[in-house]
Amino acid sequence: MNFLLKSWGAYTRMTARWPGIAAIIPFIPVVLIWTLIAEAGVFPRAFFPGPGDVMRSFISLTYKGILPDYLQDSLVRLITGAAVGVALGIPLGILIGTSRWAHRACWPILLFFQAIGDIAWLPILLIWFGFGLTTMTFVIVYTVLFPVVLNTVLGVESVPRDLARAARSLGASRTRVLWEVTLPGALPNIITGLRNGLGYGWRALIAVEIIVGTSGIGFMMFDARRAGSTVEIILGMIILGLLWYIVDAWILAPLERATGQRWGLVTS
Amino acid sequence: MSTLSIRNLAKTYFDPYAGAHVNAVHDVSLDVEQGEFVSVVGPSGCGKTTILNMVAGFIPHSGGEILLNGKPIDGPGPERGVVFQSFALFPWKTVLDNVGFGPKMRGVPKAERDKIAHEYLALAGLTHAANRYPNELSGGMQQRVGVVRALANNPAVLLMDEPFASVDAQTRMTLQEELTRIWQERRPTVIFITHDVPEAVFLANRVVVLSKGRVLDQIKVDLPRPRVWDDLIEDDTFKKLSAQVLHMVRSA
Repeated sequence: MNFLLKSWGAYTRMTARWPGIAAIIPFIPVVLIWTLIAEAGVFPRAFFPGPGDVMRSFISLTYKGILPDYLQDSLVRLITGAAVGVALGIPLGILIGTSRWAHRACWPILLFFQAIGDIAWLPILLIWFGFGLTTMTFVIVYTVLFPVVLNTVLGVESVPRDLARAARSLGASRTRVLWEVTLPGALPNIITGLRNGLGYGWRALIAVEIIVGTSGIGFMMFDARRAGSTVEIILGMIILGLLWYIVDAWILAPLERATGQRWGLVTS
Repeated sequence: MSTLSIRNLAKTYFDPYAGAHVNAVHDVSLDVEQGEFVSVVGPSGCGKTTILNMVAGFIPHSGGEILLNGKPIDGPGPERGVVFQSFALFPWKTVLDNVGFGPKMRGVPKAERDKIAHEYLALAGLTHAANRYPNELSGGMQQRVGVVRALANNPAVLLMDEPFASVDAQTRMTLQEELTRIWQERRPTVIFITHDVPEAVFLANRVVVLSKGRVLDQIKVDLPRPRVWDDLIEDDTFKKLSAQVLHMVRSA
């Protein structure tokens, strides 16, 4: 009992010091079970590789430079698409959130196009733009745009009316109110929109790379299927999860903490 | 000439549920002199907040006129400072930047507006809270910030809309005493909306009683200053005036 308490204490101290460790520990049983199943030989090795095989593939693909190149391609595509989506989505969301006229004009269109999922655009996009960067960027922008717009509208509408009134009676012009009140007031929702948008965008990217791709993580996985290499497919899956964890836990979540939670707009 | 002159003010709006036009304010005339503290009391639905919102320029009026130093008002403006029941502090700005917001909008440079903000924070005993965010403060402290934020902009008239209605009773009394002290030091022109009769009498030079969108009566309050609750609670003049106003409000 005493030993358990002591080790638990040591664990808490360690994770408080290096929070990264707390994120790794839950995966230990997952990897353990995976190893056991693979080692037990229930399935042929070519069908169900173990962690060691995947690790070896990771090292060799990194060494050859294929993996870093593909990873870079995927990330550049995602970042380009997300940047364009955000640059379009935030102003559009603010317009729809602040102007009743714009809301009436745009809302039905927004809902209509939201229903046509990103992948549903692929057939026509392939005819229009062919198998290239334009098609991929279009799909990612399209995927990122809707969560950003909808959450921005929500954020703008959730800013208390008295805040805008206070700013106006302190001498702020309407444009100034937009900058000083509407935008910061909507920021926590905008970040949520960005978080959702990037999540959807990441998935859409992989799907597009599978169909359109000539490079990227999605392409690597689909290419591996042709060669029957389960190792590379699983490696791709692990990279997808890992990368998203890094983006979410190291970039987006701290961003949320620094804004909404700091100001008391969102309870943690 | 009065600082603020309200002439035959009226507000009619369409109530979609009743399917009819409703007169929230009928025919209100009121003059407020430079440096005067006027309380407006009345039962809920008497139109007192509607009047304040029209004077602040938040909503248009349907009849009559509102003149500030002889000029008709047009929308919200920095010459009419507003203190809200909801405090309406900017959550993403520190206390210092909240108070410095008005000067910032006037184009005052950062160093100078920080100086102004510090001066007003000291007036409300908030120097220690300058770098905190509003959500880290108690309700009473938040409203102190709300009051000095409006004052730091040097408005011609300060409009206060039930500012102490959402703080606890003890804090409210302290805030009332502080407000009379600040008023004595700075002599701003104040219109103070409330439904709390003792509060109205305690603070004001003059109490305006409102009923069903009309001015029922006006009562001068000549109690000596500084006013402190421990004294006034047993003061006969205060008790008599409060009773008089209370009867009017209740019969209204």
